[in-house]
Amino acid sequence: MRILVSAAVAAATMSLGLTAQQTPTQKKPALAQSHPVAQRATPAPTGLSDDAQNQLVKTYCVGCHSEKGRAGGLSLASFDASKVVEHADVSEKMIRKLRAGMMPPPQARRPDADTIKAFYETLENKIDVSAALNPNPGWRPFQRLNRAEYQRALKDLLGLDVDVTAYLPPDTVSTGFDNVADEQNFSPALLEGYLRAASQISRLAIGDRNASPTSATFKIGRFGSQMRQIEGAPVGTRGGISVVHVFPADGDYVIKTSFHYEPLGGLFGRYSMLTMDISEQLEVSINGERVALLEIKPSMSETDQQNGTNGLELKTPPIHIKAGPQRVTAAFIQKLEGPVDDLVAPLENTLADVDVQFGITALPHMRDMTILGPSHVTGVSETVSRQKIFTCRPTNDREEETCAKSILTRLTNQAYRGEATADDLQDAMEFYQKGRKTGDFENGVRMALQSILVSPRFLFRMESGPSTGSGQARVANASATYKVSDQELASRLSFFLWASAPDAELIKAATSGALRTPAGLEKQVKRMIADPRSDALSTRFASQWFRLQDLDKIHPDVLLYPQYDDRLAEAMQKETELFIDSLVRDDKSVLEMLTADYSFVNERLAKHYGIPNVTGAEFRKVQMPPYRRGILGQGSILTLTSVADRTSPVLRGKWVLEVLFGTPPPPPPPDVPTLDESTKSEQGGLRLSTRQRMEEHRKNMPCASCHRVIDPLGLALDNFDVTGAWRIKDNEVPVDVVGQLYDGTKMDGPLGLQAALLKHQDMILRSFTENLMTYALGRRVEYSDMPTVRSIIHDASKHDNHWSSYILGIVNSPAFRMMKPETTKDVVAADDRSR
Amino acid sequence: MFITNKQLSRRTVLKGMGVTVALPFLEAMTPARSAFGAVGTGKKIRVVAIEMVHGSAGSTAFGIKKNMWAPAAAGREFDLASTSLVSLQPYREYVTVVSNTDVRNAEAFTAPEIGGDHFRSSAVFLTQMHPKQTQGSDVRAGTSIDQMYAQKFGQDTAIPSMQLCIENVDAAGGCSYGYSCTYTDSISWAAPDKPLPMIRDPRVVFDQLFGVGATPQERAERRTEDRSILDWLGTATARMQKNLGAADRARLTDYLEEIREIERRIQKVEARNSSGEPRELPEAPIGVPDSFSEHVKIMFDLQALAFASDVTRVFAFKLGRDASNRVYPESGFNGAFHSSSHHGEREERIADFKKINDYHVSLVPYFLEKLKNTPDADGSNLLENSLVLYGSPMGDSNVHNHKRCPLFIAGHAGGRIKGGLHIHAADGTPMANSMLAMAHALGFDDMQSFGDSTAAMDLNSAAATPVATDSKA
Repeated sequence: MRILVSAAVAAATMSLGLTAQQTPTQKKPALAQSHPVAQRATPAPTGLSDDAQNQLVKTYCVGCHSEKGRAGGLSLASFDASKVVEHADVSEKMIRKLRAGMMPPPQARRPDADTIKAFYETLENKIDVSAALNPNPGWRPFQRLNRAEYQRALKDLLGLDVDVTAYLPPDTVSTGFDNVADEQNFSPALLEGYLRAASQISRLAIGDRNASPTSATFKIGRFGSQMRQIEGAPVGTRGGISVVHVFPADGDYVIKTSFHYEPLGGLFGRYSMLTMDISEQLEVSINGERVALLEIKPSMSETDQQNGTNGLELKTPPIHIKAGPQRVTAAFIQKLEGPVDDLVAPLENTLADVDVQFGITALPHMRDMTILGPSHVTGVSETVSRQKIFTCRPTNDREEETCAKSILTRLTNQAYRGEATADDLQDAMEFYQKGRKTGDFENGVRMALQSILVSPRFLFRMESGPSTGSGQARVANASATYKVSDQELASRLSFFLWASAPDAELIKAATSGALRTPAGLEKQVKRMIADPRSDALSTRFASQWFRLQDLDKIHPDVLLYPQYDDRLAEAMQKETELFIDSLVRDDKSVLEMLTADYSFVNERLAKHYGIPNVTGAEFRKVQMPPYRRGILGQGSILTLTSVADRTSPVLRGKWVLEVLFGTPPPPPPPDVPTLDESTKSEQGGLRLSTRQRMEEHRKNMPCASCHRVIDPLGLALDNFDVTGAWRIKDNEVPVDVVGQLYDGTKMDGPLGLQAALLKHQDMILRSFTENLMTYALGRRVEYSDMPTVRSIIHDASKHDNHWSSYILGIVNSPAFRMMKPETTKDVVAADDRSR
Repeated sequence: MFITNKQLSRRTVLKGMGVTVALPFLEAMTPARSAFGAVGTGKKIRVVAIEMVHGSAGSTAFGIKKNMWAPAAAGREFDLASTSLVSLQPYREYVTVVSNTDVRNAEAFTAPEIGGDHFRSSAVFLTQMHPKQTQGSDVRAGTSIDQMYAQKFGQDTAIPSMQLCIENVDAAGGCSYGYSCTYTDSISWAAPDKPLPMIRDPRVVFDQLFGVGATPQERAERRTEDRSILDWLGTATARMQKNLGAADRARLTDYLEEIREIERRIQKVEARNSSGEPRELPEAPIGVPDSFSEHVKIMFDLQALAFASDVTRVFAFKLGRDASNRVYPESGFNGAFHSSSHHGEREERIADFKKINDYHVSLVPYFLEKLKNTPDADGSNLLENSLVLYGSPMGDSNVHNHKRCPLFIAGHAGGRIKGGLHIHAADGTPMANSMLAMAHALGFDDMQSFGDSTAAMDLNSAAATPVATDSKA
């Protein structure tokens, strides 16, 4: 059937050649190559006739989708096969459900599979042909740097890791992503945040000789074990905290720590110290080197308040620390090692109950660390950021101006993504002079940097409209599409692949015109994927697509799952990120995310999964047990789709439908309790498994119609408990994972589910492409983008669905390289907002 | 109220035992009058609008029978003992309980809206308007009552209003059914299409209220820098507009307004400081506390502090997030919030859910006490001159309805609300009627309607039927 589409498109391409050439400003050959739809060409027969289509809809659909019935809010009563393209929004809805095999519904009368296939392919064909004639790259307003992009751009520009959540309000999420342009609103709080960030960050980057003492506190949550060495801490320590803190100046700093306590204020862990005669010590180190060793006394108590100090706090003497980012660690000296024979089984969630303190799982735990200072400032030493900024040093007054100019030329050009103008430099120089007047040369540069960091040229990713544009001629015709400029394309690329600004090489490639050729573009894309910064595709794209941030919000019941704590949750998140990262870097098939028999674990996670012979905090690639395949065998997804005290087949099924299939189930009717909330775990003295509780409920007919689809997907995973650990019993009843996919495919546990999902791999690939496109474009994917989506999948499937073929497919698509002028509606919407 | 539970925070236990503990920020924050006396004369009403999600146990049939939210008697002789408001007993003379009102605009109007209650309600609470079901930039609800007040009466202060929240508002998949997340995330709407972001970190609130810097001099220097940057930013932004399409140009115009707004704020602060008030500020808080009650309390501390120093007079405070499954061990009940709200109308589960409602309300007296103990410029105290409203746009959360929603007012709004009253509205009365009356009390004397209001409620009499609009409260 693909053949059919291709033939028509080939014909369309020929006529497209004509039409497009009439528009003199479009570079025809480049466009044709950049639009993969146009590349297909194979002869084929035609699809279903209009009459046949109308008849099908009338016979099988209109019964429910009538004007009156409007099942799912859709009426097909006036369906007309000759108007499929005009009503592409409706047609795409039909295609989606038909391709998923969800319509007509499982119990209803339906035509044979070949007819359904012929029908939706005819619909697709019509729409794709029309789209090839009239590509619609879509439109969105300009994007601003969101929190993550701002942070990463700063890191690239200044070599500084700053926690921007302290400055900027959270980003609004749309369809799962935090970079959707039309959801990026302005508010006084946002501007105020930008100003505060620029002021503070410029001082941290340059160093601040006049820094007055302030405090920075790092809290340690209550849900994390402190019995093992943590990341960044020296060997031979346990627990505590290790952070990279940016010090404003060389000077004396005091590190203050406090500890978790019992309900009445005494040090948590004191009984263990007393009964087992353990003396606990806390080591404070800077960049791994010990600077203080603090004795912890079991008599410490928060009720002890002398001279304004808190009895549960310990302070170091003043320590001289140099400016710039330094790793500060406060951790306990590990005093005990070896097999544990304790009164209570050792827990991972060691602070689950601070009333319970027996044996060595109840040693003191740190609560927070505060860095106070500086006092006795002696100057500002060299730091990474200073080296990045001060590319020259004036030796006398006369050289200052020239040097400032050279520094600011580089900074503006990088910060403004290769588009800095003479005006921009002039503006920065004026701020330099202002700062120089009230301070020294460095203060001048700092002041200029402060202005750069708050400039709209840095914060907003402006793309000039169709009628303007420097150098490159653009289409003036209001209904025609236009290409984004080379520099704009470079920015689009780098924010897509790196979530940050372009580097010097990419800017150079854009300036030289190299991005205009497919080969030049591909070269840059391949280089960028190989760069460490492409971790954004896993930590930003995949983690948002999979909703990994929800993992933070799940706290499994501490009594039922004492082995779960924040450290384990962190490891789970990292596992999934490393796993996706490896798929991207090794350019594996996208589908391998469901089938891979390997993953990445550290000791903690290996123990949780029952994988032997993994020690230490580093992650490594391992062979997974046969029942753990791909992301649906990973703790992260399994936990974030659970509730505190039991698994939720509904949430897991919903996750599969929403995330993997891109077909979210309809909302439940308003007057019923959430399906799995209301049956008890015991009935008539019998214990019920989660499955039995669900089935109890599915007897309820209005629920059954949807939950017949949702639940079996989740139940197939019920061998994984709330924390993703393997189990064979649930509430002391054997787990039963047998079920049916809505299309009748038998599923027997995770492997059965995998096979059933792969039967619908076209849906998974479509959902993947839609999500990757949403993230890449910074706008929601609309029905009018579906021809592009199909074309990308079609081409990628010829390359075994490799990640790079999807990335290149998107990068080469008109949606990525072109824009359609905004419609009046867009302008009105924007006008409305600004009033 | 004293809850026995072993996961109770230490602070609460110590308070119960009569032991005092140094609480650096809290202790330091109670301002001395000399340092913080509000400037000027005349009554300045402070407004705090607090939203809690998921309705209340007292909105269910069983809960109404058992008086779990609304007391049995209307009028002045009401008994709070059985209700979730029991902790307000010491402040009953300041409290006006408004029961039995509906938030109709949070209901589904069309078929696709059915089921999306959690993702629409918060936008309705303070606007009483029906949000448009969209995920795009064409979000639309109404202007919220806190913003109406801020826009008309908040311009004398450095910051017209602030928006605070407790829960993380970036839950993925937390908003769906075709609703933009912004409807779930914000209760404050500066205009029908302009939701305002809510701040969760107390440290950020502090820095926004008082500026960054360790000393007044440092803060002044940074303000000067910001002023010169803002000055330039206006020109630089306007310069960029010429290369853009019309929609992007309009977006930048919007941004230019924010620039002018921040400029205005800085001028206000400087004008105020030039009159020479000593400004001794407590140490800034240190980020988001783990404990719900500590987080809420520090946010209340900041609001009281901001009122005392007259930096702003309006706060919107969002205590929860729809569909959140947060657990509140300090309530004495360990069930997750959302799950427990779907109690299946079972009596014992409703009783459990009520414990969560009780707990949420029990945090409010802490704030009322602070307000009451802070003198205001007119010689009375801040609670006298405040209107604190607390409620939920949902009623019986088990069925996602918006009827008989919880609501109470604390404070005398400068004398225009007498307090000590339980108003039991006639069945079907819109909550908007009470908000229209609040608007009247706040000085919007001519306002004819608010949201779906049918008339203004008389907030000073327990008449069961609402009075007509033209006879003002």
